[in-house]
Amino acid sequence: MIYSANFSSKAFVIFVAIMFYLSGCGQKNGLPMNSAHDSLQAENKILIAVFPFHNASGVPSPLNDMRQLFLDSFKEYGVNILEDNVLETFMIDNRIRYVGGVDLATARDLKWKTGAEAVLITTLELYSEEPPPKIAFVSRLVSTGNDPTILWMDGIGLAGDDSIGLLELSLIKDPRKLLQNVVRDLTASLTAYLSGREDRGKSMEGSIRLWPSLYHRSPIFDSTIKYRVAVAPFLQLSERRNAGNIMALHFVRLLRAIGSFSVIEPGLVRDTFLQYRIIMDDGLSLAQADILFSKLDADLILAGKIFDYQDYVGLFGRAKVDFSALLIERKSREVVWSCESHHVGDEGVFFFDWGKIHTAHKMASGMVVSALETLVE
Amino acid sequence: MTKCMHRRYLILLPLIISLLACGSRSHLTYYHDPDMDFAAIRTVAVLPFENLTTDRLAGERVRDILSNSLMATGAVYVLPSGEVARGIARAGVVNPSTPSKEEMAKLAPIIKADGLITGVVTEYGEVRSGTATANVISFNLQMIEAQTQKVVWTGSTSQGGISVWDRLFGSGGKPMNDVVMAAIDDILGKLFK
Repeated sequence: MIYSANFSSKAFVIFVAIMFYLSGCGQKNGLPMNSAHDSLQAENKILIAVFPFHNASGVPSPLNDMRQLFLDSFKEYGVNILEDNVLETFMIDNRIRYVGGVDLATARDLKWKTGAEAVLITTLELYSEEPPPKIAFVSRLVSTGNDPTILWMDGIGLAGDDSIGLLELSLIKDPRKLLQNVVRDLTASLTAYLSGREDRGKSMEGSIRLWPSLYHRSPIFDSTIKYRVAVAPFLQLSERRNAGNIMALHFVRLLRAIGSFSVIEPGLVRDTFLQYRIIMDDGLSLAQADILFSKLDADLILAGKIFDYQDYVGLFGRAKVDFSALLIERKSREVVWSCESHHVGDEGVFFFDWGKIHTAHKMASGMVVSALETLVE
Repeated sequence: MTKCMHRRYLILLPLIISLLACGSRSHLTYYHDPDMDFAAIRTVAVLPFENLTTDRLAGERVRDILSNSLMATGAVYVLPSGEVARGIARAGVVNPSTPSKEEMAKLAPIIKADGLITGVVTEYGEVRSGTATANVISFNLQMIEAQTQKVVWTGSTSQGGISVWDRLFGSGGKPMNDVVMAAIDDILGKLFK
């Protein structure tokens, strides 16, 4: 009897310990703020113009509210933001409608007319309020002036059921709470960069790996050279709106994160496409690639096709991403690398959705990281 | 006793035969031109495939995986699909999945291809039989030598389908992409044999 009492109390203690551990596991959403809460030093305060958010989610979303939340958060951490009325006047005067990138003329005017040293471009990739909510953003800071370059870039995709914890204690049902987590993480990443501490956008730590099913790398490609890369929008074959642009953004972000490439601002690439009326019927032709090489002074062009970029609404469903990509090299005019990757979010899941990936954003990130590792290995 | 045993066999035999008949498919037929030196073909263009299925992307998916698989073999260089599309437009090919000899003669020099690959996807997607489902693909390919416009290799393959295992345990079969990859591996295995 004594033995049995001891055993049951021990079992209870172990059970409680497991419960605490599991509920702790549920708090994984978001990056730690660390010292990001400290205000930025005066010398790190560059004037940043925060462009209105670009909606690539394909659904109506409260973009202005989201932007305001970001602005409040930036101001709280001492980020020097260009006044909204100044930015608005500038955008009206210069007739700027596209806010998903910045071309040379806009970057130049922005610097001389408003004094902004950088522009923050944020793309909303996914917004679903249906519980559990799902939100994904890609944000980048681009320098203004004569040579717009990407200074910082990061992306976050969160779902309310990413880590539900024991008895669903950590399940997030309120989209505002999830949005706050996204804002907190992106602000932490941006302020960490601005303060010169670290560039979390370049950190591959914690990235999942989803390997391509096929890849080819030509001996022409030299991984020791720091190539200048232009990423063309992917050919859209998916039913998801803007999937081609979203996929291109993933490549821009992660090519930059790898560090072996100098990635051209997508706004400049888009501007060249428009100026030279480049229309990709079935991908990029070599003649079109030549125009991009010469106008953007690029060494490599990354292009591809997106077959599936699928998120799901609510609790049941599975994310799915299927793409192929290739790199064309300037001197040889040849494809020096190509890959084929397709994955679904519940691959290898056997018990209670453990290990399930809930957003196409997270899947695409893992797939692109793995694909690029085959390039630079 | 013996009569009873015979009866059991009579019941079991058709059951086994029908189960085996429903097994997953893996068929491959091919033709190689015996006089052709395949080493002479360095650059190939994979033309858009004819899609006879209900999936609007079936042809494009198979074409894309085939192009990458061919590249991955390292034996041939595959022209990017955008460059092939430019050549098709410039050569004025009316039906790119079944070009005429004259069209091929015009197209190949524009894109500087030694060989052209055409194909037809005849089956792509899920098949259902009772409660069992599985993915299946069937397609055929042909390679045409650009200089002579002669068919030097053809092959057709079929992979996937409902296996005995799927029928008994309802596993749903392999994912579609795995079936496509297996079919392409199968057919390329014969091309480079």
